[in-house]
Amino acid sequence: MTIDYNELKKGGFLRQRQKDTFIVRFRSIAGNLTSDQLRKLADLADTYGKGYVHVTTRQGAEIPWVKINDYDNMKKEITNYGLTTGTCGPRIRTVVACPGLEVCQNGLTNSRACAEELDKAFFGRPVPMKTKIGICGCPNSCSKPQENDIGLVGVIDPVLIEDKCIGCGLCERVCPGKAIEMVDGKPVLNRKRCLFEGNCISSCPVDAWEETRRGYLLYVGGKIGRLPVLGKVAAEFLQEDEVIEAVERTISAFERLGQQGERIADTVARVGLDAFKEEINILDIESKSADTGTEQESEVG
Amino acid sequence: MAEFEVAATLDITPDVCPITFVKTKLKLEQLKEGEILEVLLNDGEPIQNVPRSVKGEGHKIVLVEKLDGKYRLLIQRG
Repeated sequence: MTIDYNELKKGGFLRQRQKDTFIVRFRSIAGNLTSDQLRKLADLADTYGKGYVHVTTRQGAEIPWVKINDYDNMKKEITNYGLTTGTCGPRIRTVVACPGLEVCQNGLTNSRACAEELDKAFFGRPVPMKTKIGICGCPNSCSKPQENDIGLVGVIDPVLIEDKCIGCGLCERVCPGKAIEMVDGKPVLNRKRCLFEGNCISSCPVDAWEETRRGYLLYVGGKIGRLPVLGKVAAEFLQEDEVIEAVERTISAFERLGQQGERIADTVARVGLDAFKEEINILDIESKSADTGTEQESEVG
Repeated sequence: MAEFEVAATLDITPDVCPITFVKTKLKLEQLKEGEILEVLLNDGEPIQNVPRSVKGEGHKIVLVEKLDGKYRLLIQRG
């Protein structure tokens, strides 16, 4: 039989070092697999692999040591089990995310739900070069969104209600960006230093710090590999219903600006962040273009 | 600000996370609603985490006082 390796890669079958042997990659969203899916993975690993499952750095699961002759049978079983294989090659990869607001004490946004939306919209889509998306529900960045071609970080915007403030200075102490300074017994916020993690809001004994808005910072051009680069902020306080469009714009900008062999990081480095941001902005996707235009005037560098 | 009547005192300056909060939580549970717990804690990680965890559990911080290298919190059991 002739083997179309590109076709196999699309379906998450990666050629192993050994002849006619493959690693089968499975798709997980935000690193969650149900107990039922895990039991089925275990069965597949016993039947077609060597009885173990490899957990990948991007929250996926892989079964190594699958023989090419078993491809058809295994593929059938995977489908019957309701599992989906992952992807590799020049495509939008598995969306990585932290648990987020649903369970994490620090979570500001629902990164799991956001990951599901993004996965639904973009997973497996062919792009000029592999493109990874990562989401974190707060600036602690546990899921390392800045390492991804496209990253999203949940943020919250604080404002001081002066009448409520008792001048205890706790917010100054707990601010990780050293953005708050006590002046004449009252806190003053330097927004340029604010990390938007909301410690002032969650710590204030009298609720003098309030939330004005929350959303996502959009990072573009992160990658690891041999020459690691951290993503840079391209938009601030995207609302949940704006995320898909912003990511679509980013991918489209990359498709137009990217040259052969470039990741988003390389394109951003070549054309400059401002030019890339402009390209994200000018794309004619209906609705909200005027609003997001002002959001692009980022204070966070 | 009027001083509060302290029902119990807890010194968590020798402790690190998560014991700092655990001890505070357990001590608060021994008090009656409305009673005040005085907590002495270090600057740095404890002051970053204990107040917001306490707040998150529904208690009220009524005083934050900076002492030499540490803090004094008065927490009213919620």
